[in-house]
Amino acid sequence: MEQFEMLKALAETNVESFMFYILATISILLAYGVILDRTIIRSGFILIGVFGSICGLFLLLQAQFLALAQLMIYAVGITLVVVIALMLTNPRMEKSQLSTAAPANQLGAFMVAVGLFMTIYLSVRPENWTLSSEPLDMNNVQVLGRALTTDYSLPFEFASVLLLAALIGAVMLAKAEKPPKPGEEDFEYSVVEDSAAEPVASKR
Amino acid sequence: MRNGAEILKLGTLTITWWCIIFGAVWIACYLVGVAIPMLLSSYDSDAARITAETCRALTPILSVLVFIPINAMFMVLFERRGLAIFTVRLGPNRVGPDGYLQTAADAVKLLFKEDITPHGADAFMFTLAPIVFFAPSIFGAMPLLAAVTNYHELFQIVNLPTGIFFILAASSVPVVGIVMGGWASNNKYSLVGGLRSAAQAISYEIPLVLSLVTICLLAGSLDVVEIMKQQAGGILNWNILGGGALRGLDSALALKFSNSAPALQELSAKSFDQVLKTAYSDPAAAALGLVAGQDSMATIASIIAVVVLMACVLIAAGLYMTGACAEINRIPFDLPEAESELVSGYNTEYSGIKFAIFFLAEFTNLFVVASIFVVMFLGGGDCPVPAWLGNMLGGPQMASAINQVLSPLIAIKFVDPPTLFAAIWVILKVYGIVFFAVLVRGTLPRFRIDQLMDFGWKRLIPLSLIVFVLVVFAREFVNVHVGS
Repeated sequence: MEQFEMLKALAETNVESFMFYILATISILLAYGVILDRTIIRSGFILIGVFGSICGLFLLLQAQFLALAQLMIYAVGITLVVVIALMLTNPRMEKSQLSTAAPANQLGAFMVAVGLFMTIYLSVRPENWTLSSEPLDMNNVQVLGRALTTDYSLPFEFASVLLLAALIGAVMLAKAEKPPKPGEEDFEYSVVEDSAAEPVASKR
Repeated sequence: MRNGAEILKLGTLTITWWCIIFGAVWIACYLVGVAIPMLLSSYDSDAARITAETCRALTPILSVLVFIPINAMFMVLFERRGLAIFTVRLGPNRVGPDGYLQTAADAVKLLFKEDITPHGADAFMFTLAPIVFFAPSIFGAMPLLAAVTNYHELFQIVNLPTGIFFILAASSVPVVGIVMGGWASNNKYSLVGGLRSAAQAISYEIPLVLSLVTICLLAGSLDVVEIMKQQAGGILNWNILGGGALRGLDSALALKFSNSAPALQELSAKSFDQVLKTAYSDPAAAALGLVAGQDSMATIASIIAVVVLMACVLIAAGLYMTGACAEINRIPFDLPEAESELVSGYNTEYSGIKFAIFFLAEFTNLFVVASIFVVMFLGGGDCPVPAWLGNMLGGPQMASAINQVLSPLIAIKFVDPPTLFAAIWVILKVYGIVFFAVLVRGTLPRFRIDQLMDFGWKRLIPLSLIVFVLVVFAREFVNVHVGS
């Protein structure tokens, strides 16, 4: 067992940074793949790979809960919905149908990208973070849960209210249909009448 | 019982295949996990020690890799023979003795079939899809191994503090494989199958996760081994009865049947938490909140809480089974591969080894969801007979007799009695759930897609939320009134 502990200690020193570089390379390459792939649905699938490798980065940081949430919500849930939306709206586009953007648009996109990069970089510079030398709790899910429900419960609740608002907004947007006319008790039948089924309307 | 003979045949077939499957897994684990390290321990060198430790660390993944293909072969046969009995047919009974080798022959046939990539398909995605579908079911089940082997030392390394969440996250990945395969096949039926599968998996994941979250809330842990250990001590302590209505039921009945003090001491040592532990001076009353000095309102509230807790967890178990059936695309939720509408859904264009992998993953997933159910609701490898009843029926004598018989095997560390008994109970329970899934398949017709969505979003999700909230309050009431 002592040998095993030694092996583990050895692994933790070197392999962690090594794994970081591998995962970072994979995620950057996949992110390029998202932009460069001409088949838009395929870039959607590559995006799942990007999120998957970011999940690996979280695992390296010993943030198991965040890693799994990343995998479950971003990599699978959200990206899959995006891919499905793409499938429903945009069938296979041939390369000839795709054209490169106008130079002015390219410049604008470049400026936006640089601005975003600078914003994110300036906010995550290492000097803005206080580093703690406290050892990580093995079971940090409990710590996280306790923090979310005690010290940070207000921000947590605000975030959920924001999500709820977004959800209601999405439902309202998706439900942008005419309200039923007075005198029609069943809404679903009115859709049938509108489209083609005249006999149904006459019967009613 | 006109088909009694057939049922008997299914029983012998099942037991034979269990012996093959678990014998193979057991021997493989023994060789790699125990025998090789024991041999190597005679050499006193670093290389030998490191090799031995590596072998021990690789045991869990090896056991899964041995288990999955053989188990899938058995489960296909089990399902076909079971369905044959439900629909009054004979089922496959020609290949080998009474059809025992039917699926082995099928597997060989699939391996030798030509691997076709259809014209216009996205070849890379087409190949990647079965892998993405299958791989998560291998490593997603790993934390469960620690729970179902009664936390055997070889399997301790696969346990995670985020156990059940890891399993859920891993089991949400396969749907990407289905959508990928459906899209890459360049076939409209496949695409529709993939889209249906994604819509269904995303909708039914919510009640599934919420029902498991309810159980985690009851247990106060995400760790599957922790949840399994809490349920130790017979059927009355299992989570399916509301965690034995938070571990009070067992003691109450024990008090009723045997008035021996040591047995009670032993039981109260297993109490749910400190609050409950103090109340175990009078377990029968504590179970129902009848602590002396409490007013009648509080007593009634506690009794109601116990009943509500048990009802809610039963509903949660039902929600889990429904959600799991939908997640793994089994009848009545097999719309992604509805053969009367979509040829064969997302795997229409697949053949040969890729189709075999889809098939393998489907049955492995069925086994995995059944194991999750067993660990979360049915106490894992726990013997269903409560300890006090077992003592009255001569359980310890039986156990020691079995140990006597197995003593040569125990001596060479081939058998570890706690793991063996846990494994036997887990096998019985898991295949019981699998049999239930087969029974459902033989009984219920397929949903229509709009009915499926309505059922998921308008019935199951609100129900699971209600159950969740009720359990939060009921648990609090049971505790508070027991503790005071």
